[in-house]
This record gives sequence, structure tokens and C-alpha cells, in this order.
Amino acid sequence: MISSINILAVGASGPDWRLDRAEINAGWGSSGGKGQVAVCAPDEDALTLGVQAALRALDASGLQIDIVDGLWWGTSRPPFAEGPSHAIMARAIGLSARSAGALCSGSTHSGMEALFGAADAIGSGTARVALVVVSDALIPGLGTNYETHSGAGAAAVVLVSHGGNATLGARITRTNPYLDRYRGDGETSTRDFYDPRLFREEIFLPSMQEIGEHLSVLDINNWSIPDPDGRLGSTAARQLGVKNLVSDFANTELGDTGAAAALLGGIGSLDVAGSLAIIGTGGGRTSAVEIKAKGPVPGASEVRGDISGGTSVRYTAVARARGQLVGSGETVPMGVPPQSAQFVRGGDEMLTLLGARCVDCGTINTPPSIHPHCISCGGTKFVLEQLSRRGRVHTFVINQTMPAPFVAPLPIAVVDLEDGARIMLQGVGDGSDMEIGMDVELILRRYAHERGVPVYGYKVKAL
Amino acid sequence: MSWNRVAVVGGGLIKFGELFEQSYEQMAAGAFAAAVESVDEGFEPTQVEAAFVATQRGTLWGQEGIGGNTIPSAIGLPGIACTRIENACPSGSDAFRIGAMAVASGVHDVVLVIGVEKMRDKSAEEGLLARAAAGHPIFTRGETAPVLFAPFATRHMHEFGTTREMLASVAVKNHHNGALDPYAHFQNEITIENVINSPAVCSPLHLLDCCPQTDGAAAVLLVSAEIAERYTKNPVWVAGFGVATDHPYLHEKSTFTSMQATEMAAERAYAMAGIGPNDIDCAEVHDCFTITEILDIEDLGFVEKGKGGVASLEGDTSLTGRIPINTSGGLLAKGHPIGATGVAQMVECWWQLRGEAQDRQVATPNGYALQHNVGGRGSGVSVVNILTNKRSPK
Repeated sequence: MISSINILAVGASGPDWRLDRAEINAGWGSSGGKGQVAVCAPDEDALTLGVQAALRALDASGLQIDIVDGLWWGTSRPPFAEGPSHAIMARAIGLSARSAGALCSGSTHSGMEALFGAADAIGSGTARVALVVVSDALIPGLGTNYETHSGAGAAAVVLVSHGGNATLGARITRTNPYLDRYRGDGETSTRDFYDPRLFREEIFLPSMQEIGEHLSVLDINNWSIPDPDGRLGSTAARQLGVKNLVSDFANTELGDTGAAAALLGGIGSLDVAGSLAIIGTGGGRTSAVEIKAKGPVPGASEVRGDISGGTSVRYTAVARARGQLVGSGETVPMGVPPQSAQFVRGGDEMLTLLGARCVDCGTINTPPSIHPHCISCGGTKFVLEQLSRRGRVHTFVINQTMPAPFVAPLPIAVVDLEDGARIMLQGVGDGSDMEIGMDVELILRRYAHERGVPVYGYKVKAL
Repeated sequence: MSWNRVAVVGGGLIKFGELFEQSYEQMAAGAFAAAVESVDEGFEPTQVEAAFVATQRGTLWGQEGIGGNTIPSAIGLPGIACTRIENACPSGSDAFRIGAMAVASGVHDVVLVIGVEKMRDKSAEEGLLARAAAGHPIFTRGETAPVLFAPFATRHMHEFGTTREMLASVAVKNHHNGALDPYAHFQNEITIENVINSPAVCSPLHLLDCCPQTDGAAAVLLVSAEIAERYTKNPVWVAGFGVATDHPYLHEKSTFTSMQATEMAAERAYAMAGIGPNDIDCAEVHDCFTITEILDIEDLGFVEKGKGGVASLEGDTSLTGRIPINTSGGLLAKGHPIGATGVAQMVECWWQLRGEAQDRQVATPNGYALQHNVGGRGSGVSVVNILTNKRSPK
């Protein structure tokens, strides 16, 4: 018997930065442009956004992380073209080393593929608890038509075979081998549509029409419809006679979030009973699924707050963060290359944020691999445990003078965690809000990018 | 009872600064010549049996070839025993300690301790700043040299009400002393406003809270107590020393208001010399940043914990104060050529105890001077050496 596929909890995240559309337009000699798009800070990417959304969904679910059977991650921009993207995310979330799942990529449709893959694992009984993460941090080509609407964000859903207030229902996929936006092998930014009107009239609107007609037999209240350019979403909604275009909020707040858009646009509406259809498209494929909620889904009411806000920055800062504006000088490399033995020994403990608690005196030694003896009593017996992700600033500095690739100001804080461990890490942002005694959380960020390898670690962020 | 088995009979240094025109070897030769010249009754260079050379940067920043064999040929004594000592910022003071032990062991009668450092052969970004990526790949990311000390300033200010004016007063006092020291890198007076209004380097530390990057070399000659009078009628004795370590990473520290390596090294040195902090007439301490000197004078026992800032602002550590600190100008004004720093501090102590510090001379009624360095990852190594001009009865 095929199990029902239920949503136990949801979570969402948006990046730190916002960029005025007028700034982008001014950069290319035109005026006007309303609103903002969400942009990753230099230490954020699709992986860090996805981890944050996943932790929020798991927190809302009330589940112990070790019972999650697998991670299904959909993104058009995994941090490696080839490499351990999925493994890094799974361990950073805290999934067991035995967990299964898949990384779906290749287009903005990959978010739907991850959702369906997880649903099929639940439906077939190979998984009882599946974590779905959809995230994207699009990098549009400079000066492209849709640059002013390319955003970033992530959503996560905990799927279970039993329990939960919402259920996945009918689904549909249509395939056409056309070329819309794409990124060639080895290219760093996504290319523009060949002809925006061709895309609109022959590809996008007909796809939405066909999917919409199939869903029209269902009694759908709320719709999440992709909106790659700030207009196509509402045009498609009008054409389909949609009244509650619930994806408007995320699209306005973040811009087009690519593979994350379908779920991210819809999950906020699961805070009350109702029916929702989410549509995802890209790479010649369009899919939709019906979600029925019989009551509020944990985490749904936090979605709006979790993706709102952000710091306004200049276009040049965004171009630098995206690697499109590169200084001419040499940069100082990391002390050890990310492929080195030090990362083989110490990579997992940094991602999973492990400490070694001394059996004799209780002191937590961080990280375990460099502490064969306890720093307090010299003991040699330890129990490994995950560090608390919350704490309080004991002391800090703001570094203003560093060689490239560092960008000042860089806050660095010594934090006393709730479990008693003391740790010293970089802070997020410019540090202007930092003070002794401030309550903070530790979040995963990208510390460096060297030899094509993103190096992840935790940073301190004000609560 | 002070140890006094080893005597300092000569000492000298070259003028510190941005010595683009001098090679490492030329700097070493200059310092050695100054030390030889300083010996009262004359000194034949070939009497040196062994040399201990302190160089910290060598293996890291382009002086990879510098080992124990570099100095002998540079100073015209090829063939002598020579060993390189590297122990972070206390490299020079530790070379001194090890040189003294080599003499006291009876293996050598005459030892040269020489510190040499080229800080400016590479650009600032490739020099000290390159530490922003040294050590553990995550815990040290962005950690330039001031990041190792500025968190102590933040916490000292928070707990004891230490102010930026108090920090600045350290730099003002050391620049005043430096202006009187012909060997100092900087020889100009500055004001508290100059310090406070200088650009932020690593908040709360600003540019003039930080020592410069300086090239330099210094040397001292150590002989066994039995033969000291062949070289001078006015020897200075090694009264005691101590070295201590602390955890290397800042998050492993239990306190950010003292440096425990300094406290332990001082305790050991005082015990060996049979004295306490109140017996010290003047001291050369590690002021790589203004906060470091405030911590030092507390950790060495010269002022009460938490009162270092107030004591500095009120002039207790000036040339005419209760306990003159860094009469040479310190690292802040004289400069910090790392391997040479500790040796140069010993030269200043030697001059003070012999009454040869000219315009910087302070009263030495007790006959004791103390030299101190702290440094390395997480201020994890400290060395304290104590000199005396009092010959203890046998």
C-alpha cells in the first residue's frame, strides 16, 4: 500500500542583503525601477540559505534530527559543479552519516524534482521522514533583462508518512525541450532569454495555461506561480483566473528565487487550513502539486518574518560578492588548502559543530581534533557532543585592516555558548551592533572560496 | 638569593627603522660590532665560542634559508657553534635565557646572543598581516596580529573602566621615551589626541596603539661569572629568568583581563632571583599594543589588577614615575623587529643598571631591571629575564 505523504513542518530563509532595482538600472544608464531584490552577502550561497531553512523546519517539527532518513535538495546552483555539495549540507544540518536522498540540479525546476523525489521515497516506504530543501542564489549575467528580478532564498519541508496537518495531492509534469535561461558548462552567470516575448508567448504562458487547466478540476484557494521578471507571474495568474496569488509576498520581498520559488511562494499560506497549488518551471519542464492543509502547519506562520528585512547595499558590493567584480591584486591564500589532511580530519567536526566534553571536569574542548588533552584538567576521556548554537558575547574586536580577500570591517567575537563552551568566530555583518553580553546565534556561512572549493564554518549573528 | 652565575659584559644594537638599504647579514654584523665595542676592557671577537640567534620570521616570510649557519659568516666567525632560536615574540628573550643556560652549564665560557629581524623586505600585506590566514582554518580566519590582543582591550575596558585615553597614554609615554633614544624607530612626541584620532586598525585599537613593523638587530655578550672581571669592572648579572606557555587559541582562554603566560613566567623569574616586583627599578615590557603594556604591568605585579590604565595615565610608569616602563621607547616607539626585540630590551636594561642610559637614565636604588616578552598564537608564550648590578655574596 502506498502511504499518504504529509507535511509535518516548514521553514524558510532569505539572504542578508537587498539591492535597489533603481541601482541596477542606473548602472546600465537607465532610470527608474521600484523595490528591491534579495542578494547573498559574500559569505552566503544556496547551501547556507538551505541549511538555515532546513534547521527552521526541523525546529518547527519538533523531531530529533537523527530520525530523518534523507535529504532531497533542489537548487540550480549547488556550490560545486561536481563535488560534495549534498554531503556538506547533510552534515551541516546534522543528518546522520547513514542518511539517504538526492541532489537535484540543472535548472530552476530542480526544486520540484527534489520535492517529488522525497515524496516518492515516503510513498514507497523507503523513508519515513524526508527533508526537502529548495534553495537558490541566482547570479544573473551583468546587464541582463531579468537582473533586476533575480533573487535568492530557500524553503524547507519535513515530509512524513504519518501525522502532519497538510498532505501532498495530485501532481503533474509537462516536458518540452526548449531553451529559456541557461548557464553553459563552466560559465559563472546565467544567460538572458534570447527573446523575452518569445519566452512569454510560446513558452511560459502556454505552460502555465496547460498546468492550470489540469488543476482547475481541483478546488484550489491559493497559488504559488513563478515570476521570473516581475510581470509574468501576475499575467499568468490573470490568465488562470487566480485570486489568491500567495507567492506575491516572497516574489516582492526576495525576487525570483529560482528552484526555491514554488515552495517558498506557497508554504507561508499553510498557516491556516486550505488548499494550495505550487508551480515550478525551468529547463524545459513545468510541474505542479496540490497541497491540502487541514490546519496550521508548524513553521508556516514564521515564513514571512524569516524572509523579510535585509541590509541595503550598493551594486558594486553585490558584484564583488558574486565574483563579478574582482580586484587585480594577489589574495592571501588560506593557511592550508581545503583539500588537505586538516580538512579531512577536521572538516566534519566544524560542519556539525562538535565539542569534546571532558568526562573528568566537564569542560568542552573545541574542536575535538586538536585537543587530545582537556584544556582545563588535562584529562583524556571525552564525550563528543553537538555544541549549543546560542550564546553570549564575552569580548570582541572589529578588524579594519586585512589583506585581500578579506573585506573590512570584520567583527570577530569570543562567545560563551549556552552549554558552557567558549568559541571564537567571525561575526556576520559590519559589527556595528556588537557589544559585550549580546545574545547571539551561530549560523553556517561560507568563510572562503579557494581553488574552487567553498569552505564553510559558523559565524556569530545577533539574535 | 639571585642566581648570578652568568654576567652580561657587552651589549649593543643598530638604529631600528625601515632599513631597506641593509641586508639581514649587514644588520647582524652592525649589532655584533656594537656589542664588541661596548666591552669596557676590550673584547676579541674570536673569543665567542657559541652564538644563539633569534629570528622569528625566517621560515615564514622569505628568509627561509636563515638557520644556525647564517650568523657566523655574517659576523666574521665562520665555524663557531650557532643555533637559531624561534619562540614567537619572545624569541630574543628566550635566546638570551638559553645562552645564559649554555654558559651556566659550563659548556661555554663566552656566548653571543644576537637577535635579527627583517620585517620590511616584504610588503605590509605579505608581512604580519598575512597572519590573517594562519593556524586553524576557521578559528583563525581574519586574525591579523592585533586580533590576538584587541579582545583583551575590549574586555579590560568593560570590566575595569579602562578608557581609550588610558590606552593612548601608554603610546604617548613610550614615544616620549623613544624621542630620547637614538636607536628608536620613531623619535617624535605624540599626544593623546593623535592616538585617539589615528585610523582604526582593529577596534578598539587604532594605528598609534600599535607598534610599527621595524627592521633591526641587537646583540649581547654573556660570560661565566668567574671570568667576568676580565671584561669589565662593572658587570651586570643574570639574576633569574622564567618562561611559561598558555593555550594557543583565544577561545581557550579563561580570562581576557590578564595574560597567564606572563604571570607564570614572572613568578618563576622572581623566585629564581629571590626578589619580588617591588624590587624592580625599571622594566622593558612587551608593548606590541598599548593594551599589552597595561596588561603587562598588572601581570608582572607592578600595579594592582585593573589599575594599569589609571597608573599609565597618571604617569606612574614614566621616566620619573614610581616604576619606569619601557625607557627605550618600547616596541611602540623603538620598534618591534621580533627576534631582535628581546635582545634590544636586554641592552636597555644593561645600560640602565650601568648608568649609561643618558637622557633616559632612571634611578636604580635596588639594582634590578626586568625584561619581558609575550606573544605567539594567543599570547601563548612569555619570557621574563631579570638583571642585577648587585653581585650576591657566594
